[in-house]
Amino acid sequence: MADAVTVRLTVNGVEREGRCEPRKLLVDFLREDLGLTGTHVGCEHGICGACTILIDGEAARSCIMLAVQADGAELLTIEGLMRDGKLHPLQEAFREHHGLQCGFCTPGMLMTALDLLRTNPSPTEAEIREGISAVLCRCTGYHGIVRAVEAAARKMR
Amino acid sequence: MPLIGAPVRRVEDARFLTGQGRYVADLTLPRMLHVAFLRSPHAHAGIVSIDAHPARELPGVLACITGDEIATQARPMRAESRMAGYHPTECPPLARGKVRFAGEAVAAVLAESRYTAEDALELVDVRYATLPVVGTPEAAMAGGAALVHEAAGSNVLLTRAFVQGDVDGAMRDAALVVGDRFRFHRHAGVTIENRACLADWNPGVGELTLWSSTQVPGLLREGLAALLDLPVHRLRVVAPDVGGGFGVKSALYPEEVAVCALARLTGRPVQWVADRREDLLTSTQAWDETIDAELAVNADGTIRGLRARVVADVGAYSIHPWTAAIEVVQVISFLPGPYRVEHYRGEAWGVATNKAPMGPYRGVGRPVSTFVTEALVDRAARRLGMDPVALRLRNLIRPDELPYRSPSGVVWDSGSFVESLERARDAAGYEHVRAEQERARRAGRYVGVGVACYVELTGVGSAIPASPGAAISTGTEGATVRVDPGGTVTASFGLACHGQGHETTLAQVVAEELGARLEDVRVVSGDTAAGPVGTGTYASRSAVIGGGAAILAARALREKALAIAAHLLEVSADDLTLGDGRATVRGTPHRGLTLREIAGAAYAGAKRLPKGMEPGLEATRFYDPYFGTASNATHIAVVEVDPETCAVIVRRFVVVEDCGRIINPLIVEGQAIGGVAQGVGAALLEEVVYADDGQLLTGSLMDYLVPTAAELPAVEVVHLEHPSPTTLGGFKGVGEGGTIGAPAAVANAIADALQPFGMELSELPATPDRLFRLLSRPRTTSSPETP
Amino acid sequence: MKPVKFDYHAPASLDEALALLRRYGGDAKILAGGQSLMPLLNFRLSRPAALVDLNRIPSLAYIEEHDGQVRFGAMTRQRMIEFSPLVARRLPLLREATKWVGHLPIRTRGTIGGSIAHADPSAEYPAVLTALDGEVVARGPKGERVVKAKDLFVTYLTTSLEPDEILVEVRLPATDAGAGFALEEFARRHGDFAIVAIAALVVPDGARCRAARLATAGAGPVPVRLRAAEQILERDGLTDAAIDAAAGRAAELVSPDSDIHASADYRRHLTAVLTRRALRRALRVAHG
Repeated sequence: MADAVTVRLTVNGVEREGRCEPRKLLVDFLREDLGLTGTHVGCEHGICGACTILIDGEAARSCIMLAVQADGAELLTIEGLMRDGKLHPLQEAFREHHGLQCGFCTPGMLMTALDLLRTNPSPTEAEIREGISAVLCRCTGYHGIVRAVEAAARKMR
Repeated sequence: MPLIGAPVRRVEDARFLTGQGRYVADLTLPRMLHVAFLRSPHAHAGIVSIDAHPARELPGVLACITGDEIATQARPMRAESRMAGYHPTECPPLARGKVRFAGEAVAAVLAESRYTAEDALELVDVRYATLPVVGTPEAAMAGGAALVHEAAGSNVLLTRAFVQGDVDGAMRDAALVVGDRFRFHRHAGVTIENRACLADWNPGVGELTLWSSTQVPGLLREGLAALLDLPVHRLRVVAPDVGGGFGVKSALYPEEVAVCALARLTGRPVQWVADRREDLLTSTQAWDETIDAELAVNADGTIRGLRARVVADVGAYSIHPWTAAIEVVQVISFLPGPYRVEHYRGEAWGVATNKAPMGPYRGVGRPVSTFVTEALVDRAARRLGMDPVALRLRNLIRPDELPYRSPSGVVWDSGSFVESLERARDAAGYEHVRAEQERARRAGRYVGVGVACYVELTGVGSAIPASPGAAISTGTEGATVRVDPGGTVTASFGLACHGQGHETTLAQVVAEELGARLEDVRVVSGDTAAGPVGTGTYASRSAVIGGGAAILAARALREKALAIAAHLLEVSADDLTLGDGRATVRGTPHRGLTLREIAGAAYAGAKRLPKGMEPGLEATRFYDPYFGTASNATHIAVVEVDPETCAVIVRRFVVVEDCGRIINPLIVEGQAIGGVAQGVGAALLEEVVYADDGQLLTGSLMDYLVPTAAELPAVEVVHLEHPSPTTLGGFKGVGEGGTIGAPAAVANAIADALQPFGMELSELPATPDRLFRLLSRPRTTSSPETP
Repeated sequence: MKPVKFDYHAPASLDEALALLRRYGGDAKILAGGQSLMPLLNFRLSRPAALVDLNRIPSLAYIEEHDGQVRFGAMTRQRMIEFSPLVARRLPLLREATKWVGHLPIRTRGTIGGSIAHADPSAEYPAVLTALDGEVVARGPKGERVVKAKDLFVTYLTTSLEPDEILVEVRLPATDAGAGFALEEFARRHGDFAIVAIAALVVPDGARCRAARLATAGAGPVPVRLRAAEQILERDGLTDAAIDAAAGRAAELVSPDSDIHASADYRRHLTAVLTRRALRRALRVAHG
C-alpha cells in the first residue's frame, strides 16, 4: 500500500515534478522535494496561516492539503512574487511600513493579502483586519501589516 | 543627517519578503536524520519498561534511544542559584525513572524522514505506572502530597521575600485598605516558528555544531559544553533566522541536549523540528500566579504600604539557566511599580506541579505585578471617590526624587513617570473619553477606560543578574567591529536576533559612531564562532548592552582610522573629520581618504602606519552598564463590554513610552505595538488549560487563542525621549514593555466599564465565560487567604 | 504531526468513488475540502486505510435553482457560495453564514457538502440547513436517497449517512421576497467556530408572522431546531414581547455542553441573547 505517486505541477511559472508518498503534505513537498523553503510550517492544522500559498490563483493552506491533490495545479509561492527582479508593491509596502519583524508569518501574510486585494481592491481598515485575520502574526500586533496593505491597495489600484 | 534616531527601513526585510530567510527547518545537511520524540501521555508516572525493538525494525529507522541510553552521553541539566530558599532539581534530556508532565520526552526515534520517525513512535512500547498527579500549588503544598522531585524533599522549590518598613503598621493606620485575591492564569508564548535544532558532530576534530532556534546561543554553548563534557571551544552554537522568541526560546531545552547527544552517538547530523502540538506541550509557559495583595492609602490618596503573597505554579522542572525563580521573584521585585511605597512586604513561593515548566516570557513577572498594583490603585481611587489618574499623579515618583531605590532594592536611575501619564491622558483625550463614557452609559452601552503605569529595569548590568541568583553572568556583551580591507564594515555580536531588527539598528549605531556609510555596515550575530563572547538577546538588553559595546568598539576604530589618515595626509588628527566613509581635512574638503584607503594602509603594515602602530583595523570592546536603566510607559485602553454576550472590544489603545534615546522610531513603535498585542491577548484570550489529571486541554491553536488582526485596535504610540543618564548612548530597552502594561490597562478598563454592575475584576484572562459568571452572581468580597 | 500511511484514490466519477468505499468497507475516509479532515489526519486522530478524494469529480460542483430550491453539488466551495449572485439573491442567509466560516483561504477549499457531512455542531452550515429545513441527497450502493436535516445529525461529528454513502447534493429552500434573515454568532475570535450561533428566518405578514425558522450552532451535540420558540412567534407575531418570549424559550430548548471556552450555562444564556438579536435583525431586514 501507499506506493509513491508522481506529482506534476507549475510553481511560480515553472513546471516541476516530484515523487512522494500520498500522505505527504503539500507544504512539505514544496519545501523538501522542490527546495522552496520560503513557505513556512507553523501549525499543521490550518490555523496559523504561515503556509498559505496561491493555488490556481486563490489563497489556501498548504499544510492541510496533500501534495498529490495539487497535481496539475498552478501554484504561486513567496519565491514567485517578484516580477522582473523588482519587489511586488505588497512586498515594498511591507518594508516601508515595518510590516514584519521575525519574518516567519510573512510568506502566508503576503499571499493572503494578495488574494484579499484581488477580491477586494479597495478594502476598509476593518476589511483588511478581517482579511488578514486568516494569518497569525505574533510580532507586529498587525499594525504595520494593516498600514502596508492599505498602502499597497492604493498603489495597485 | 544623524543615523541614530532615523526611521531607517530594515535591511533584513529583503530576504524575508522574498522567501530567502534561513530558519533551522530550512537547513539540511548530507546524511541528516530526523528525530521525533515519544512524549509521555501521563502527567506523572513511573516508567516501568520501554521496548524499542519494534520501532527499530521499521524500515527507514536508524535508532530509537531511551533516557537510560542517552544518559551515557549527556548529563541532566541542573539550574543552580545562589538564592537562599531555592532547591535545585535535575532535568534529564530524556525522562529516566519517571515522567513529570504530559509531553515530556521519553524516547527519541531517528529516521530518514519525520514521517517515518512518527510512524516508529507508535511502535515503541512503554509501560507506565501512574502516580498521583500534582495539579495545583495548593495540592502540591498540602500535607502528604506526592512529590514532583523526590530529591528536593518538597514541592516548594523556592521562597523569597522583600521587606521594607513596617507594612503591617501601615495597614493598621491607613484610612483605607483595598485588597483581593488576584489570579493570572497560565500563558504560552507561541512563537510562530516552533522550536527547532540541528546538530552536527565532526568526529575528525571532535567538534559539535548546533543550529538552534534560540535567543541565547552563548548561554547554550556554555550549558551544553558542561552537559556533554566538551571543551567550550569545541562547540559552536548558531541561531540563524529565528521566527520569534518572546522569552520562550531563552532557556536550554532538553531537546537541544538530546539532539547534540544523538548526533555524537550516531555520527550523523540530527534535526528536530517541533510541531505545534509539541510546542504547546513542552515550550516554557508563563505566569500562573495567585496573588493576595493589599494596598493601604491615606484619605488623600497617598499610598502608605503594599503587602502581597504570591504563589506561582512553576511546573515540573526548574529551567536552565533561569531556574524556577525567574517569574515569581520578578513579581515581588516589581509590585511597587513606579510609585512611592514606603512600607512593603512581598513574599513569593515557587511550587512544582505536573505541568510544563515555567519560564521567562516577555515582561517576566511584571505583567502580573502591574495587573495587581494597577487594579488596587484603581480600587483605592474608586473607594475614595478620586479620579484614578489624579490618584496616580499623587503617588508617582517625581523626577526630582530620582535616582530612587524601590522597596525591593531596584534602583530607578531615571524616568518620566509623571510626564508619561500626563501625556497619555492628553493623547487619549481623557476628559472627552470620560464624557463619552457617560453618554454611552445613558444609551445602555458600557465603555470603560483603563490606565496602567509601569517602570521596568532594562539593559541589566552585572550589579543585578537578569535572573535572581542564577549562576550565570548576564551583565555584559561585546562587539567586534572590523573595517575590512575593502572598506566595508563587519560588526559582530554575541547577541542573537529574532525579529528585533538588530541588523538595522546596530548598523545605525556602528555607522554613526565610526563614520561609515550605513550600507557599508553588516551586522553579524547569533553565531558563537563569529563574534565575541556573549549570551544572547533577552530581558530588553540588546540595544543597551550591545549598543554600548558597539559604541565603544566603533569609537576605538574611529580613533585609529583618524590616526592613520592623519599620518598619511600629514595633518593632525584633530584637523580631520570622519563621516560617510571618508576622513576629510577640515576646511579642505577635497583632501581626504576613504575608509577603504585607510583600511588598505592599516592592513599593509608598518610601512604605511604611524611608528609603533599595530596593523589592522579591528576592535573588540565589552560593555557593562552595571545597574541597568529604567524604561517606563503609561498605557490607556478604552474598551466596550457587551454585558449580554460578555464580549469585550478594545476600542482604542494609547501608549506613551520612554525608552531613552531612540535608535530607530519605526522599530521602537513595532516593539511597543507588538508587545501590546501580546498583552491584549493575555488579558482577553490566551490561557493554557490543564485538566485535573494533568492533560493539556489547549494543545492546538484552535484552543489556545492567539489574537488576530480582527481582535486588536490600531495602537497610538507617543514617544518620550529622555536619554538614560547611566548608559552609554542613552539607550533604554523596549522589547518587553508593551506586554507589561497592556493586561493591566485592559483589565482596568473592563472593571471601569462594569462599575454600574458593582463588580471588580481580579482574574485574567477576562474570558467571556468568566465575565458571564461575574455578572451572574451577586457581588461578594473575597478575602485573602494564606497559601 | 504527519498523517499515517494510507492509500489514496482520486476517482473521476461518483460510481468509482462508491466502488472504492465498498472495497474498503468502512476503513476509507471521504476527502472533500479537507479543512477539517486534514487537521485530524495530521494529529493522527483520524487513521483511515484509504482516502477517497472527491476533488477530481467535476460534476459535484454546481449551484442551481430548481422548483424553489437552491441545489448545491457537495463539492461546491464555500468561496464560490460567498461570491455567487444566485446565493446572494435567493439564499441570503447562507451567504451571511458563509462569511462566518473560517477565513477566506479556508473557504477556498472548504465545501458545503464536507462541512455538513463533517457535522461539527459548532459550524454554521449545519445550523442553516437545520433552520431552513433543508435536505441532502446521499448516494450509496442502493441508489440515491433524500435525508431531511432533522434526520441527518446524530451527535458530535456523526450523521445518519452510511459509511458506503456519499453526500452528493445539498438542497435549501429559496428564500421568499419579503422574508428577513440573520445569523448572529458569538465566537472568541474572528473565524473561529461558534461558541453559539443562531440562524434565523422570519416571514412577516403585516403584524403577524407567517413563518419563523430558528436553529442553533454550538448549543449541543447537534444543531437544534428551536421549533417551540418559532411557534411563539407564529402565534403571537413579531412583537418585542413575543421575541423576548421566543428567546427565553430558546434557552430552554437547548442542552449545551461545557468545554474550555464556555460553560453550558453561558451557552444557554447566549442562546437566548443571540436568538433575540437574530430575530430583531431579521425583522429589520424584512422591513428593508
